[in-house]
Amino acid sequence: MAGKPARAVNAIDQTRRMLSLVTYLRERPGARIADVARAFGITEDELVADLDLLPMCGTSFRGGDLLDIDTDGERIWWHNPAALGEEAAEPLRLAADEATALLVAARAVATLPGLREGDRQALLRATAKVETAAGEAAGASSRLSVTFESEGGVFADVDRAISERRRLWIRYYSPARDEVTEREIDPIRLVSVGHTYVEAWCRRSEARRTFRLDRVAEIRVLDEPSAPPEVELRDLSEALVQPAAEDPEVVVEVGPGGRWVAEYYPHDSAEELPDGGLRITLRTPEPASLRRLALRLGRDGRIVSPPELADSARRAAREALAAYDTPPGPVPDAAGVRG
Amino acid sequence: MAIAKAERLMNLALCLLGARRPLSKRELRDSIEAYVEAARPGRGEAARPGRGEAARPEKAAGSDDSFNRMFERDKDDLRELGLVIETVENIDGEIGYLARRDSNRLPPITLDAEEAAALGLAAKVWQQARLAGAASGALQKLRAAGLPEEVDPYEGHAALEPRIPVHEAAFEPLMLACRDRRPVLFDYRKASAAHPEPRHVEPWALECWRGHWYLAGFDRGRGAERVFRLSRITGKVRSRGTGFTAPVPDVVTVRETVAGWAGETADRSALIRLRSGAGYPLRAKAAKVRELGDGWDELEIPYGHGLDAWLVEFGPDVVVVEPAELRADVVDRLRAVAKG
Repeated sequence: MAGKPARAVNAIDQTRRMLSLVTYLRERPGARIADVARAFGITEDELVADLDLLPMCGTSFRGGDLLDIDTDGERIWWHNPAALGEEAAEPLRLAADEATALLVAARAVATLPGLREGDRQALLRATAKVETAAGEAAGASSRLSVTFESEGGVFADVDRAISERRRLWIRYYSPARDEVTEREIDPIRLVSVGHTYVEAWCRRSEARRTFRLDRVAEIRVLDEPSAPPEVELRDLSEALVQPAAEDPEVVVEVGPGGRWVAEYYPHDSAEELPDGGLRITLRTPEPASLRRLALRLGRDGRIVSPPELADSARRAAREALAAYDTPPGPVPDAAGVRG
Repeated sequence: MAIAKAERLMNLALCLLGARRPLSKRELRDSIEAYVEAARPGRGEAARPGRGEAARPEKAAGSDDSFNRMFERDKDDLRELGLVIETVENIDGEIGYLARRDSNRLPPITLDAEEAAALGLAAKVWQQARLAGAASGALQKLRAAGLPEEVDPYEGHAALEPRIPVHEAAFEPLMLACRDRRPVLFDYRKASAAHPEPRHVEPWALECWRGHWYLAGFDRGRGAERVFRLSRITGKVRSRGTGFTAPVPDVVTVRETVAGWAGETADRSALIRLRSGAGYPLRAKAAKVRELGDGWDELEIPYGHGLDAWLVEFGPDVVVVEPAELRADVVDRLRAVAKG
């Protein structure tokens, strides 16, 4: 077919899918495009692309016919299902990667603290059955594992609030300001990406916000109904916390011992320095929140700009030292440092 | 236009699965359109009249080569998809290929609607292209085998979105190396090292914790088990050497090692003073909290590796009471910052 949009199609994934598709369609004459696409977790366009290709396929060696499969745009018709012998139409065993991908994910979700017991049991039962069916192919799945972190009690309350469509009251810790604030939120969904977060409409800031469950100090499911406005949900293929383009810029220089900063903070650039360190440029809505970073880095790094931020870290350190009765002593050439 | 690879793979798979006896390479080449095309000597030139016979053998050899390469790759690809293709020799010594029904059939599996929904959720978890494709593929095979379809979108799960993040380029080659038990060579920069060093590792297992991937394996250079953080692998992961020289332990513990790095394994406790209202995470970890009444609280908290750096983050809101060693470390860090 000419004029098809040039799109990167993974031939392996498509072949895998078409092999299952012929088995599936053989049993279901007149299956609806929409239903089949849903069952296979693909778009209708992807399915139609498969249906365009299948008539070019067949067990041609036996002099057999090509698969006479077509669609009227709504239903799928297979005019010669006998063209595919019983042997070629049986469901295929799982490949090692397939078993691994499914089992590792299912085990990870099953260990999510706070997951409903019924869901956990269903996952465990399904995992055991898939392990048995996969046989040897399941062997390598033990070489990959994933742990999702979550606060079980908080998770269960959020889960209940979402399913009962109720508002939540939380006391939430903000590390940027080192303070706990109270707020009411209308929860939308739970997202686990290493840590678990609740994405919600925050009634205090009247905005969509993401809250990390292990920072929820206290939680109560309220009687009021939850009514989050229609919002565009976070694209989960990107980091959950994304600095905005208009956020102020901070430049941090770290020595080799501070390179971890580049692994933990989303940044615009990390330039190698001759001593094995990095010059990291990042953006944050609240530069003051990086005072903590400056304090933590100690001799492994320093804030280059903005200068007020570097000053505030120095002041905080001096104030803290005062409590130890060990004054920092004369700061040699403090003025010189500032330039 | 060249015949789509998926069409070629599909035809090869159906041919092998449909045959009741081994098929020779020649039979396969002659019956699959894409191979016929690949084996045809110089498609463009073939149409040109008046080519001498003499030019032919060379051309044929060239296209034989390209067919052979294509055929070998295709068999490997189908094996990646789980197809068991056996190589057998017939009485004439000719090699034939066979996909036995028994070894390729999915054993019977019956899953109820709840289990199907659970697997549907699990299949969406991977964000890494290869495993996302594999997970969907697994679900599709199960679907073809009668996995019930979710009649109404599972309400309980619709609001839960677990995702396994994979940002590290080293992930896929290491995953394959762990699967196939192949030693690897890569450059690794230790946490506080200025420069990466080459490491020769027998990879055992990969684990994702708090959104970061780690590899556990036997480090040949150091002659001992090591855990590596994937984000600190610089450059390419290469296969080097065959076979493992060290035994693979039955249980590989990655998380415990990493938790130790992160200071999660505390063996002692420390006493600190914390300004009222400040430092919630310290309070959450505290074994004991006592109000001092002067705007300060006294907390007993677990003391593990890295506690000094963490306490310094709270600036003047934290004062270490004991032990002296921790007090000295904190003062030392504060001095470094104060000097700027």
